[in-house]
Amino acid sequence: MIPNSYLILDDGSVWPGKSFGATPPAADSLANADVSFDGEVIFNTGMTGYHEILTDPSYTGQIVLMTYPHIGNYGDDDSWSEIGPESGREGLPGIKAGGLVVRSVYDGRVPAGRIKLNEFLKKNGVCGISEVDTRGLTLKLRSEGSRNGIIVGAGPNGDLSEEEKKAALLYLQSLPSMAGADLTGKVGTAEVSAINPEGKIHVALLDCGLKMNIIRELVSRNARVTVLPSKTTLEDIQTLKPDALLLSNGPGDPEPLESQASLAAGLLGKIPLWGICLGHQILSRAIGGKTYKMSFGHHGLNHPVRDEKTGRVFVTSQNHGFAVDEASLPDGFTVRFRNANDGSVEGIENTDLKLICVQHHPEASPGPDDSSWIFDLFLETLED
Amino acid sequence: MPAREDLNTILVIGSGPIVIGQACEFDYSGTQAVRALEEEGYRVVLVNPNPATVMTTPGIAESIYVEPLTPEYIESVIKEERPDALLSTMGGQTALNLTLELRDLGILDKYGVEVIGASVESIRKAEDRSAFKTVIESLGLESPKSVLCRSIAAAKTTAREIGFPLIIRPSFTLGGMGGSIAFEEAEFDSLVEKALRASPTHEALIEESLIGWKEFELEVMRDKADNAVIVCSIENIDPMGTHTGDSITIAPAQTLSDREYQKMRTAAIEILKAIGVDCGGSNVQFAVHPETGRMIVIEMNPRVSRSSALASKATGFPIARGSAKLAVGYTLDEVMNEITGKTALAFEPALDYCAVKVPRFETEKFPSAYGVLGTQMKSVGESLALGRTAIEALNKAVRAAESGYDGLECLELPREEEERILCSAHPRRLLSAWTVIKREGRSALDELSRKTGFDPWFLHQMANQAELESELERSGGVPSAPIYLEAKRYGISDARIAALAGIGEQELRTLRESENLKPCYHLVDTCAGEFEASTPYFYSTWGEADEGEPIGEDAVIIISSGPNRIGQGLEFDTGCTLASLAWRNLGHKTVMINSNPETVSTDYNTSSRLYIEPLTAEHVKDVLRKEGAKRVVVQLGGQTPLNMAEELEASGAQIVGTSVEQIRRSEDRQLFSAAISKLGLRQPKNRSASTREEVVILARQIGFPVLLRPSFVLGGRSMMIAYGEEELEAFLAKGIPVSPERPVLVDQFLEDAFEYDMDAVSDGENLYVGGILQHIEAAGIHSGDSAAVFPPYKSTPAVLDAMRDAARKIAKEFGIIGFLNIQFAAKDNVLYLIEVNPRASRTVPFLSKASGVNMVALAVKVWEGRSLAEQGMVDSTGYGEGRCLTGWAVKEAVFSFDRFVGLDPILGPEMKSTGEAIGTGATFGEAFAKVQRAVGTILPKEGRVFVSVNKKDRDTILPTVKELVDLGFAVCATRGTANYLFEKGIFSEVILKVHEGHPNVLDHMRSGRIQLLINTPSGRNSQIGGEDIRTEAVAMKIPYTTTTSAAAAAVHGIRYLRTGYAEVKRLPKTEKFDVSSKNDNISKSSVLR
Repeated sequence: MIPNSYLILDDGSVWPGKSFGATPPAADSLANADVSFDGEVIFNTGMTGYHEILTDPSYTGQIVLMTYPHIGNYGDDDSWSEIGPESGREGLPGIKAGGLVVRSVYDGRVPAGRIKLNEFLKKNGVCGISEVDTRGLTLKLRSEGSRNGIIVGAGPNGDLSEEEKKAALLYLQSLPSMAGADLTGKVGTAEVSAINPEGKIHVALLDCGLKMNIIRELVSRNARVTVLPSKTTLEDIQTLKPDALLLSNGPGDPEPLESQASLAAGLLGKIPLWGICLGHQILSRAIGGKTYKMSFGHHGLNHPVRDEKTGRVFVTSQNHGFAVDEASLPDGFTVRFRNANDGSVEGIENTDLKLICVQHHPEASPGPDDSSWIFDLFLETLED
Repeated sequence: MPAREDLNTILVIGSGPIVIGQACEFDYSGTQAVRALEEEGYRVVLVNPNPATVMTTPGIAESIYVEPLTPEYIESVIKEERPDALLSTMGGQTALNLTLELRDLGILDKYGVEVIGASVESIRKAEDRSAFKTVIESLGLESPKSVLCRSIAAAKTTAREIGFPLIIRPSFTLGGMGGSIAFEEAEFDSLVEKALRASPTHEALIEESLIGWKEFELEVMRDKADNAVIVCSIENIDPMGTHTGDSITIAPAQTLSDREYQKMRTAAIEILKAIGVDCGGSNVQFAVHPETGRMIVIEMNPRVSRSSALASKATGFPIARGSAKLAVGYTLDEVMNEITGKTALAFEPALDYCAVKVPRFETEKFPSAYGVLGTQMKSVGESLALGRTAIEALNKAVRAAESGYDGLECLELPREEEERILCSAHPRRLLSAWTVIKREGRSALDELSRKTGFDPWFLHQMANQAELESELERSGGVPSAPIYLEAKRYGISDARIAALAGIGEQELRTLRESENLKPCYHLVDTCAGEFEASTPYFYSTWGEADEGEPIGEDAVIIISSGPNRIGQGLEFDTGCTLASLAWRNLGHKTVMINSNPETVSTDYNTSSRLYIEPLTAEHVKDVLRKEGAKRVVVQLGGQTPLNMAEELEASGAQIVGTSVEQIRRSEDRQLFSAAISKLGLRQPKNRSASTREEVVILARQIGFPVLLRPSFVLGGRSMMIAYGEEELEAFLAKGIPVSPERPVLVDQFLEDAFEYDMDAVSDGENLYVGGILQHIEAAGIHSGDSAAVFPPYKSTPAVLDAMRDAARKIAKEFGIIGFLNIQFAAKDNVLYLIEVNPRASRTVPFLSKASGVNMVALAVKVWEGRSLAEQGMVDSTGYGEGRCLTGWAVKEAVFSFDRFVGLDPILGPEMKSTGEAIGTGATFGEAFAKVQRAVGTILPKEGRVFVSVNKKDRDTILPTVKELVDLGFAVCATRGTANYLFEKGIFSEVILKVHEGHPNVLDHMRSGRIQLLINTPSGRNSQIGGEDIRTEAVAMKIPYTTTTSAAAAAVHGIRYLRTGYAEVKRLPKTEKFDVSSKNDNISKSSVLR
């Protein structure tokens, strides 16, 4: 392989590859690049689902490395996209991730009605890099933790000069760390929207970067869903009078999301509170718990989670770099779900206060549908 | 939940002898299951009459029986051992069917044996096609449109409703046996008839054809708490229409979107739940329409299978081990995956590589049988390769199949033939597609995809390689380092790169050295690098970070035997496995290299380290360099490792045991003959002809009959015995080229001689002979196909002593350190040497078990410098010999002739058997009767025997026929034989030969009047004459013998059967067997919480 672009990490390591998707900027003109090429480099071990991953708002600010070597095999179809109802935010890219790193990208014929991954990235102005030693990079991220990185074009003769590398590192130093990053402003809706108004139960859905499949799952259970911007206030909710509030998934660190946490705290015990992923972390903080940044997080479609109440284990879709500190949880809040590999908190419950939230993604997409019953569990808090 | 405490003894049933569709994957699964159960403190009783297996090695299970897999013998075992439970899922279709039979006969209830693994109800639901269909439809899933038929008339009605083409699937058969595809009405009736006959319940499903659809398989594990994981998804590169065992496959699935895959995943789990599989693994097969995406459920197997073995090796997830743990009460989250040491079995494997399986066919041996593949499996083995990309894995897997292709290589075929192959399910379809891509480039892909049914995705990967190859060809000469690296990343071998670039391989070696280019190795960690794993399992790739530290000089590298093929199968793999265990017990580290996913040798805890790599010198040398090891064992894996010994030694490897020079000396005909005559031993007269005329001259000089062997064909094809000039002409008329480079070997054929096989271990000074096996059939039948008995049953002490003496001389002369196999023939009390092999042979596991001496462990100790005398194996004269602990032990070959429609099941100098069975007994008759039962031959206790023997056999057969008459058998015979018998005082019914009109012998067979056939051929002509009878006998499952000695043996067996006994005896356990593991890096604690 003769490289024509590079993935550069903030520790100065350089990973050669071949560009696809949007043309990456040259190392000396990063500041005014009009394509997405930077972010925290995280790996995902899913063997399918690249389209859903790329369009999932939770990946905002992240460059996704797919550990499975062949990506793009079955093309892309807009109807699979995970972005929420982005009213008032036209022109937002369909791809949320900041870049894509793969071992081998497929550029051949795809089924009718779909487009090639290469075109999909191009259309959305996102850089991809192929032919990268993704396993070597994964092992590095696993042992050192996730790092910021950028995808840049090679110099005129295919290499990267010392000056170019220096310029790249300078840019990388200016990138914010994911720890402390409030990215909810970059994703999610700015306006209230009502979905399935005839629905029997009324769920308010706080959009911190929600995945479309959450709405689909709720609607399929005959819910009327009101999607709310993440900066919604307690008063707004009180006016709306929903039956329950679901805090969605989303990108970044839960710690700076104080307004969302205090909103939840204000509703605790008043209406049922549910959470998914980032929403679960916000709820945990709302009840006085703490969150921490994991070394490289959980990003894949194969994580076993045990329901401590029944002993059942199911395979889940996961994507999180932060987790809830079990020791910090106040009395009365039990760890209902636990990761069967590393024992980390996968969900907490307080039946008296009708609070239930999970770290993994019951809406899947991508990933196994084994835990879609969690939505039923949510709805059970409305019965009595 | 802890393991069940209400169980003490568990019965495990193996799958019996190796046949097509049921091979060593069940030795692998069974061995893993036995270990998993014994770890939990259960006492395991194992029954499997396959002596070649690892599982029947004393010490693997507590109590081992090599008895036939029939209800009466299993009942005897149950009576003896009183197991609490029967694990039904480890022995393939054989064990499942037997479990159902035992249950139906009330045997399980009578002795209070609980079925664990898969309940009888779930087996029935999964195996009974109409019940299965009902389940599928109740889940809202789709089955192919189909109707279960019990008659040809019913099948015809169905055919009119659904329309052609139609798939015909008999119920309850293994590997799709008896199944077929009917494209038009003309062939339909006979295909249905065949299917009904193959089905034990006389039922067949007439089904909508899904030919050309995409085919997928999911390996699922489910536990009693309703937890389930998908271990692996597999996509068949060959579309529907080719049996999955005959298809090139890739894991994981490549062309399904996440939605399609999740739909399939959920469906598979729901199917297991509905069928009731709640403590083990199953596979579920799907077809997906390439355009509409319509998903159809094809079938499921509620047990471990060939594909579960493949999935285990492809992912590093031990399905059989897990299934055994679940069967005794654990749940998926409670069982640790020892391979990762970090994750429980509830974790679904994530791959960051591709795993490609390529089937191995016997197209050379049975050319007529492979015109078109279909729903009935015909491949005899498979190779697995891992690579970072599909194309890398594909090239490696094709090479690893050892079928004569170094990777994707062009075929040179006439265009019409190429077109025919592209449009049909053919073993060479992929290579034909490659040929077109190489010739026509990327523009040919759409058309190719339409013709072949290969997904455009796969063809695109091939086109990428074709473009790279064009670049290599265009630029010529030594490639630049980046281009070389690129080629290696496609999985192309050095030999092929050199050929494309028009240079020598040596120049690439120079390039490698000057640029420091070498492969890197990745761990198979089941988690795509997410967790740090301590797995000892590796594959090679290029241009990426290398993993794992060198194991060091002390380690021994064992080269195993690659994919199963006729002549090189499970026996060799077992030798490699036992050697690894023996070395590790001595405190040494071992590295196993193999490409066969079905085996115990490729299990993660057999060796200190495992490499899944093609068995070529290039790959082996790279592993040696990586591991920093020097010692290589080539004596155990059959001919494959032996063939690369010289090249390995030249690159600095140290060959363990007998030197390479001596190996070569024993294999070179001239050097060997010179050595033999120097020792005063005798060989059949043998010469080498380099022209056609010379063949005739030499044959006359040597004297008929002669054995003719073309020296260049694979697998002994075209080998033949010529009894006279006429047959010699026929041989030459086949158009076999004869030249100084490709001579034809002309050997004296010792007609009616007795043949013997001897396996021995030498330490350079002294010799231990494991045993001498006497063939039951006379000379002329390949030793692998001949029934044989230990100890010899018809030999004079003088002949046996002559063999012992010859063996000692040969061992000394050739400096044998380790294994020595000699084939002898004795005619008129004169001993001849037929063949000497300086390696472990097919019969080593058989003799080891019958004699209670683990010959492999013995050899390993010899290789570690412990003499036979120190090991107490030889007497003061420096000689030792094993004796049969079971009284008598008979080995019988097993054929898969029923897979090859119309193939003449005549035996000859070319090996045709796929497996073997053992029968033991206090008398020869008992051992013979049992071994016949074990291979599926039901010797009659009464009835009518058909006799048709050639003139020279008449006097020999007479006593046998007399005995049968004494036993009350009626006799029928062809005119000539009947006249002879009448002269000798035996009255027989005269029956017409096939060409003499009706009713002839075939008609009598079909009407059930004949229970035993004795039909000995003489010369080529009568062989052809008897073909119809033998073929029909195979189809009708009527026992037949083609030699007088086998007929005599059959009478011994019949006498035993008439006693009505079904005695069973535990395989003796002796101190000489010690395979209990003292492994260096595998912990025994396997259960979490």
